[in-house]
Amino acid sequence: MTAALRHFSLDDILERPDVWRGRLAGARLPAVSSGFPALDAELPGGGWPRGALSELLSDDAGFGECSLLLPALNAAREEGRWAVLIAPPHALHAPAWVSAGVDCARLAVLAPESPRDLLWAAEQTLVSGAAGVVACWAERAAPGEVRRLQVAAAGGQAPAFLFRPRRARAQASAAPLRLLLSPGPQGTLGVELFKRRGPPCARTIFLELPRPAAWRDDHDALVARPASAAALHRGARPLAVA
Amino acid sequence: MPSPSAIVERGRVVIGDEAAQDAGVTPGIGAAAARALSPGILLLARDRAREDAAMRALACWAGCLTPRVSVLADTLLLELGACLRLFGGLEKLQAAALAGVAAQGFRAACAAASTPLGAEWLARLSPGACCKDAGDLRRGLDDLPVSLLPADAAAALARFGARTLGEARRLPSAALARRIGEASLRLLERAYGERPDPRPDFVFPERFALPLQLPSAVDNAAALLFAARRLSAALAGWLAARQAGVREAVLCLRHRRDETRVVLRFAGLTAEGGRLERVLRERLERLTLAAPVEALRLEAARVEALPGRSRPLLDDAQSGQEALDILLERLGARLGEERVYRVAAHADYRPECATRRLRPLGKYAPDAPCRSSIPPPRPLWLLDAPEALPEVDGRPYRRGPLTLLAGPERIESGWWDGGEQAGDARRDYFVALAKDAAWLWIYRECQARGWFLHGFFS
Repeated sequence: MTAALRHFSLDDILERPDVWRGRLAGARLPAVSSGFPALDAELPGGGWPRGALSELLSDDAGFGECSLLLPALNAAREEGRWAVLIAPPHALHAPAWVSAGVDCARLAVLAPESPRDLLWAAEQTLVSGAAGVVACWAERAAPGEVRRLQVAAAGGQAPAFLFRPRRARAQASAAPLRLLLSPGPQGTLGVELFKRRGPPCARTIFLELPRPAAWRDDHDALVARPASAAALHRGARPLAVA
Repeated sequence: MPSPSAIVERGRVVIGDEAAQDAGVTPGIGAAAARALSPGILLLARDRAREDAAMRALACWAGCLTPRVSVLADTLLLELGACLRLFGGLEKLQAAALAGVAAQGFRAACAAASTPLGAEWLARLSPGACCKDAGDLRRGLDDLPVSLLPADAAAALARFGARTLGEARRLPSAALARRIGEASLRLLERAYGERPDPRPDFVFPERFALPLQLPSAVDNAAALLFAARRLSAALAGWLAARQAGVREAVLCLRHRRDETRVVLRFAGLTAEGGRLERVLRERLERLTLAAPVEALRLEAARVEALPGRSRPLLDDAQSGQEALDILLERLGARLGEERVYRVAAHADYRPECATRRLRPLGKYAPDAPCRSSIPPPRPLWLLDAPEALPEVDGRPYRRGPLTLLAGPERIESGWWDGGEQAGDARRDYFVALAKDAAWLWIYRECQARGWFLHGFFS
């Protein structure tokens, strides 16, 4: 027995993901950098956890919830692996994804018909371990179903994301990482890590995301004058007149 | 099929099922005698064409065990000498063969020996025999009765007291040839391996199209799976023997009047039975039948030679791409082919036409993007149908007045597309910020003068 124990130093044991160490917990959890240093600093393992479900709660589109994942999608591309999007809320506008640097040749989109098919597809995708990153949008998912997805994700190496509405916050969830997304000041995205491995994170992190235009405080700048169609037309530069 | 039942040819029973045999219906008795022995017996006329079809299906299936198969009237000969190591020994191979035949819905008596005729005789009268060398074979054959030989030879041998093949062979061969004839002596020599006995190989058909008659009409798609599995196992054997893989197979479900064609598409070249069966199951579980099915036919539509591939030494996990192919194939089979896709940018200024859906596998061939050096901002999400926004105090309004942060960007294109859904577009696009801090892509219709929400900068 002593011979067997001699192979492990205390450090080895402390680095195991199932040893809980308060503030230093999970220093070596396998993770993929989120691309945002401020967020990486708070995420256990220094990034999105691999082989675990990360829940992102957000009610409406347009706050930057996808831009938050783009670095993770691009990381999958560098590994030469596929990204799988399951039941995205709207149609993908391919030119935007291409200019965001996503490799659309390795991006599969699934559009299941029913919630049951959705969960089945998500589970199969996670169990297969074939995808480099999986993102799934589920309007409704019971705690048991989230647990199934977490178990399926735990078998693989891919970071897995589950988008759910904000009301799911009150629901218990098996996902080890849960984030609440909300718009922050000055066009930032506020991220509240209300559940993570290790000590709780009290503060909300505000992330600077690439935005399509400069954020402006003077809300009435462009609309001070009634936007008459004629004025707009004069200012418009024809991009394509065919 | 109701029991007891028996097959009858020219008024004589050929074979009965177990219940019939228990009642005393033995091969060779008359039909009337069979009815007398077992009053409720179902007598069926022998259908040689179906027997042949069944033997051909079995021979195709046997391709997964060995590439050298020959078919006699009711005997399947598999040349296994070269495959023993691959399957881990004769016992394992024999068990695999019996299990495979059972899965195909047949029962077989099986014997292994070093000569084809010896194996056939042993299978008939001493099933389960497994002779690994010439000595085993001699001992096994010696105990068999002379009735295996042609009737006149058997009668001649019985007349002078030789009841088993071993006793017959103890006679001097010249005298034996005189008594039973040259032909019967040659049979004996072939069975004992003293004379070469080449057999014609079964030629695996060029195209695979195998029918299967169902014993009764089936109106439940899931129940078809059992029958369809027999066909997919035969397909797997045929593919293995031809060293080929299939990209597409068609399962035809024949109803009384018409037929349904279920197309099974595979992501990559597929030769493995398990994978064929999985895709088959997903498709059949999703299928609702229009009418009861009376027969099935499986056709291999797109067959290609399998490229050689070196396997890794530690073959635990499949390589990433292959696992992904299998995954996308399963998802496509269950969710529907059009619900699993990739997107590609398409050279069109109209946003709703700038995305094209491609099949998830195969070559990814997008158009060259038409954008100049700095692309204008484009949203990740596009609404399927633009959402009309009201105008309040001269400002577009969505959960509060919107602030226009960038724009306008005029997009005017598609006048030639009048007939199509997209059609002519003249719009001024803006990046707008809502009161709830959502980043929107909205446009103003130049002619109709209305605001529309077209996308989200997510």
